[in-house]
Amino acid sequence: MKQIVTKGIVLARTNYGEADRIITVLTVDQGKIRLLAKGVRKIKSRLAGGIELFSTNDITYIVGRGELGTLVSARLEKNYGTIVKDVERTMYAYDVLKLINKVTEDSPEPEYYLILKATLAGINKSTIHLDYIRLWFYTHLLKLSGHSPNLHSDTSGAKLEQTQAYTLSFEEMTFCPHPSGPFNAGHIKVLRLAYGADSPAKLAHVKQIAAILPSLVQLTKTMLQQHTNIR
Amino acid sequence: MNTLNILLIEPDRLLGSIYVSTLENAGYCVVHCLTADTAISALDAERVDIVILELQIALHNGVEFLYEMRSYDEWQHIPIIMHTIIDERRLLHSVDLKKQLYATTYLYKPETTLQQLLNTVRSVSVQTPA
Repeated sequence: MKQIVTKGIVLARTNYGEADRIITVLTVDQGKIRLLAKGVRKIKSRLAGGIELFSTNDITYIVGRGELGTLVSARLEKNYGTIVKDVERTMYAYDVLKLINKVTEDSPEPEYYLILKATLAGINKSTIHLDYIRLWFYTHLLKLSGHSPNLHSDTSGAKLEQTQAYTLSFEEMTFCPHPSGPFNAGHIKVLRLAYGADSPAKLAHVKQIAAILPSLVQLTKTMLQQHTNIR
Repeated sequence: MNTLNILLIEPDRLLGSIYVSTLENAGYCVVHCLTADTAISALDAERVDIVILELQIALHNGVEFLYEMRSYDEWQHIPIIMHTIIDERRLLHSVDLKKQLYATTYLYKPETTLQQLLNTVRSVSVQTPA
């Protein structure tokens, strides 16, 4: 029997029989795996480290004949325990797990793990407003799914201008000049910063953008909905 | 005589005792839990017909409780009344919490009288056979 040791984040848990659960885990190097975890039902037992949500874990499992492996051991590496002290952050963290679970196939790129880890770390930091985290998460999901917007030139191929207002063509994922368009150079600059930041915490260092964050969160969320199976 | 069993998850002991008295006087059986962990144990131990849930609870919060509870087939269809100090507007960003987790009703605790809570329980009870 092949035994594998890796790092993973639990995305979902479902029940199996009377006392067991099947956990879906996004790993750093083994893709997304489903493992049978024996005797871990009900909240009191899930408090044991390793299969807790919102945490990174060192996981040892046996590869199964089918798609289901068996969890041998799990050791908590990092628990983002501050998340559950705030109901709104907890809800968003669950949403993030669901989105990642939806967009990842069995062999997703390792970057998904890194994005998820950075996002959970961001949600865990109560000083970072959730909109920074949402924007960072959505832009990086767009990047991984190959649907980033063009932040350099408009629909005619001309360079994006400081003084021009724009709308966004979702089909082309390119900004289009429009006299009463809702987006301007400020929005585009923040999008560039979001793509350039390697974590929500880095993006949160950018000040005086709070006013335009909600519209950018909505924009990037709509982009995701248009181009992926996320709803 | 109504014999519906209500699981009340209310971290404030004093408030909890007031809700318990009100509900028991109206003929309901009430189990009062202060935490999500004890509430899961109570679900395991007793038949529960309706859950009244405060989202803002220590250790494992009410959202965690909801996800945990709804992950078990046997507890999928128990109606939940969210009776919470969390403003509903703060819940809107989430992927429709009420719809996904089948929370039957939302009550904003600071603006809900005991009579309104009781009326809501009665209304939910009508759809919940004892």
